[in-house]
Amino acid sequence: MEGSGKEEYKIQSFDMETQKLLKTALKDPSAVDLEKVSNVIVDQSLKDQVFSKEAGRICYTIVQAEAKQNNGNVFRRNLLTRLQQEFKGREETRKRSVQEWVCYVSFICNVFDYLKVNNMPMMALVHPVYDCLFRLAQPDSLGNEEEVDCLVLALHRIGEQLERMSLQRMDELFCLLRDGFLLQESLTSLGRLLLLEVLEFRAGGWTLSETAQKYYYSEVVD
Amino acid sequence: MSSNSQTSRQIPAEDVRKRGSDGHLRLKGDAKPSVGAKREYRHKDNRSESFTTPETDRPSSRCKDWGSEVEQDEMKMSVNRDMQRYRRRILTAEFASRERKISSGSCDSRDSASPAELETDENVLLRRQKQINYGKNTLAYDRYINEVPKHVRQPGVHPRTPNKFRKYSRRSWDQQIKMWRVKLHAWDPPAQDGDLQAIDQIDLGDVMDIELDPDVEIDSQYPCKTSAEDEMDCYSGTPRKMQKTEELGQA
Repeated sequence: MEGSGKEEYKIQSFDMETQKLLKTALKDPSAVDLEKVSNVIVDQSLKDQVFSKEAGRICYTIVQAEAKQNNGNVFRRNLLTRLQQEFKGREETRKRSVQEWVCYVSFICNVFDYLKVNNMPMMALVHPVYDCLFRLAQPDSLGNEEEVDCLVLALHRIGEQLERMSLQRMDELFCLLRDGFLLQESLTSLGRLLLLEVLEFRAGGWTLSETAQKYYYSEVVD
Repeated sequence: MSSNSQTSRQIPAEDVRKRGSDGHLRLKGDAKPSVGAKREYRHKDNRSESFTTPETDRPSSRCKDWGSEVEQDEMKMSVNRDMQRYRRRILTAEFASRERKISSGSCDSRDSASPAELETDENVLLRRQKQINYGKNTLAYDRYINEVPKHVRQPGVHPRTPNKFRKYSRRSWDQQIKMWRVKLHAWDPPAQDGDLQAIDQIDLGDVMDIELDPDVEIDSQYPCKTSAEDEMDCYSGTPRKMQKTEELGQA
């Protein structure tokens, strides 16, 4: 049980004391300082690429646990406040460290994916997430494989949901991606490949045709 | 054009970023932050940070932080769900009473409000729900519902949650809430050293608390005017359980 818990929430990168804190938060939220827990999770998400892509799930479980235990939402509130602060300072973050910026985007997208309210996505996050993706679609970011990779992964995971929330913004975003793919010289060939794949992915209704799947994902046979 | 009852949940064009919730105009493709963190952000012209001019056709809450926004959305969803359940209950009650009339020949008009007389203004419902939540998030309420099961409750003697779906004037409603909370005080825990105890999950499905018989309503002498409420409360979230029920300053 211990082992599967660690793997499921990907908390191996934390030190033992923090792991213990998180495990307690999952089972008995009122017994821990939930503000501290949310800060620990957010801080780690900004540093750890792997964790940033999976942290949404542990957040969701803690939110549910707290709601069930005492109808509270201290954790969720703190988490969202931190997310909002980081969102506000995202341009500075990007200047300081592209990696941290990319981690932030992965994290907020993951939270959007997992933290549903009555099975609906949190409306408050829709436009901020779009804002982040639009930033990633700017010329300077498209020239950066790290950022393109982050962008296309986000679109694979939550593109369809985002589109349902605002078709117009998704259309606008994809205009930028098309333009970038066609016109931008600073794109690497990998960057172009990633963009082409996601363009086909959306055009196919957020799924790849069989032939496209083979093209992009099959092993090359010598 | 925007409406909260839309099922497709698309955000209408007018809402899309023409203005950020901080009031600043946003140009296409402009990646300005949509909200500012409360503690650090000041508008350049020193407006209060709650100043917004959202371009929707109805007043919307001035909540600017994501936490509050999500909580408010959550409350809206639960109020809408309550509304649907309540409507179904009314219909089944009407149906049942019609059957009684047919079989017994009595002219018993114990139907509650027809759908046309329901309160449907979302702002009003949310405000009322919030007031109800304050009352239900108390130890007194917990002790009450554990001590007095529904079937032994007597009208007039036992407190009853006001029915948020009925049309009442603002004053009438506030008065009902006040009296309800005063009555609940009878179940306050005996004064002890102030340990906050762990509280069981409260049941926010107060739809089932709503009695359908009109003749035992509290304060039925108040006129049932339509109220046009333009309250723009900022909901600061689900109230926590408190040992003392002093939010409304009741004695």
